[in-house]
This record gives sequence, structure tokens and C-alpha cells, in this order.
Amino acid sequence: MKASDVATLDGVETVQPDYENRDILAGYASDLLSDVMAHAPEGCLLITIQAHGNTVSVASLAGAAGVMICNRRPIPDDMIAAARAERLPLFRTARNQFEMSCLLGGLLSARE
Amino acid sequence: MKADWHVHSCLSPCASLDMSPDRIAREAAARGLDMVALTDHNSARNAPAFAACCRRHGVLPLFGLEAVTSEECHVLALFDNLAAAAEMDAWVSAALPPVPLDAERFGDQPVVDEHGVILEQIEILLLSATGRSLEETGRRTRELGGLFIPSHIDRPSFSIESQIGFLPPGPYDALEVSPAHAGAYRTRYPDHPVIVSSDAHVPEAIGSAFFDLAADGPAVSELRAALRQRRLRIHT
Ligand SMILES: [Zn+2]
Ligand SMILES: [Zn+2]
Repeated sequence: MKASDVATLDGVETVQPDYENRDILAGYASDLLSDVMAHAPEGCLLITIQAHGNTVSVASLAGAAGVMICNRRPIPDDMIAAARAERLPLFRTARNQFEMSCLLGGLLSARE
Repeated sequence: MKADWHVHSCLSPCASLDMSPDRIAREAAARGLDMVALTDHNSARNAPAFAACCRRHGVLPLFGLEAVTSEECHVLALFDNLAAAAEMDAWVSAALPPVPLDAERFGDQPVVDEHGVILEQIEILLLSATGRSLEETGRRTRELGGLFIPSHIDRPSFSIESQIGFLPPGPYDALEVSPAHAGAYRTRYPDHPVIVSSDAHVPEAIGSAFFDLAADGPAVSELRAALRQRRLRIHT
């Protein structure tokens, strides 16, 4: 599935639409950036509540294909600007990290 | 004395390269600050230059760093002497993950001398979380004779409240909060002195928030006593 397929999911809001439409190869749910940096797999959708600019830097370094902010946390402008500069898709949902992970996991395994 | 205890130099990748130790001391003196703490992320390597510059401009220095704990909480460790700051620096750097600096994305990390001449570029990303927990970092800071102050605890990222959700018991000399929340946090945490600081990353921000501490000198023991006795007033 592509990043643009995530954008069409029910209850998912695209916060930063100017992105490179990469394949979503996996999901990674974490709220500790040091853990994301060390373990997030290339091409993952990062599922997190850490809504700030550093999350974008770390996601890009880790090679993530997109970032999903959970619990409809407010997203500051500097985070949106950072994502635009990296051409990284930034999404938001009212789901929590578990619910979002289940949804993404179902979609990824259905396509295998 | 008017004190701003949270200022980043050019060594912090996210800070402006205009933040040389000399510029910080000069701006602080021009703004009437009596005391400034240098607090780069996970490093005190610009402290020696800062000492010389503060002497030159007549400002009292504190030497320290803003450590990033394993929980990703930012905490200030502040010392009244260079030797203790250097020991803290060594303890923190030994626990930094070996993530190379991506200067394009994060910025440069130059160690400079008192004239702003670059001595060295730190090649490991200083923004990473160390392997040291909040509890260990507090204990080590106090062992080395420093003041231990959690940073911007009201912020939605990299703060005790964002990462842990409550204030665990600890050897806190004060709590740093954003100026707008100082009143509310004094009520929320009556057992701890509450301070504000600029967290300046650019020269214009130095002293944009500070507090007035009625202390008899710059020794940590005296500063701690003044905080404990709430001989402080906040300015925003
Ligand atoms: Zn901080
Ligand atoms: Zn800071």
C-alpha cells in the first residue's frame, strides 16, 4: 500500500499533503524517539503521539515513509513545516496507537 | 541577582551559530543579567570559553548542561565550577548513543574558544537520549555538587510531564516552567521552587525570561539555600 492509501482511510486526516508517495512496508508504534531512531524499519508508517518537529527529523533519519499522530493531538506549525521540507506525509487520527496499529496491520497482511 | 539559567550556545545543533560564549555573555551583561547558566544539550564542552567570556563581561556564570534522560526528559545540571561540569559532561557523553551528526538536518555542533574560534566539531548527535535515567541523572548531578532542575516541565515534549506524566520524587532544586504557567505550577507543586528561564537558542532571546534570586554569592550551596527559602521573584 502507498502513503496515499493511508490518506483515504476513514477518520484519517492529512495534515501535510505535499509528500513523496512511498510504499508503506510496515508499521512502527513508539513514543520514544531514541527507540524509533534505533529500531524503526525502513519504509514504515510511524505511529506515535509525539507531535513535534524532532519526530520528523528522527522519522526521516530512520527512513520512515510517513508519520501518523494519534489521539488527535494538536500538531504545531513547525512540525508541519519540517514534514513539508522532508516531503514526508503527516497524518492524524482520533484512534490511539493500538487501534491505529491494528488497522494498519490488518491492511498490510490483507495485501500480502 | 537577575538570573537566566537556561541558555544554549552554538554547540547545541538547534541553536544559532551566533550564540558564541562571548556573544551570550555580552548580551547578558547588556540586558542587566547578573548570572547566566550555559546549558547545551548533553554537553558542557563550551563551558571553559564561557568562563573566560563571563569574566570579561562581568557576568556570573554557572556551568552545566541540559541532559536528555533515557525517558527523553530534559533536565538541567548546573555547577559553580568547571571541574564538576567537565565530570558531568564525561558521565553524560559516555552514555550517548553513537548516532553520527547529520548536520544538514540538525545543525552544527562546534566547540569554540573565548574568541569564537572553532576548536572542534562534535561528530556524535548531542540531541539523542542518553542511557541514563532521570533518577540516575539526578543522583549524579547531586553527587558532583550540582543543582538539579527539570526543564520546561509544562511543555508537551521532552518534559517530565510529557514523558512520565507526573513528577516522581527526586532531588529537585527547582522546577523550570514556561513563563505563562509559572503561577499555576507554583500552586500545583508547592513543595518545589518554580523558576523561569529563556531557553535561548538565539541572541535576541537571552534574558527574555529570568528570575530574581536574593543570594549572597554564586556558590551552589548558597543558590540552593536561596531557592529553598523562596528568596526568588519571577520575571516574564
Ligand atoms: Zn529542553
Ligand atoms: Zn534547552
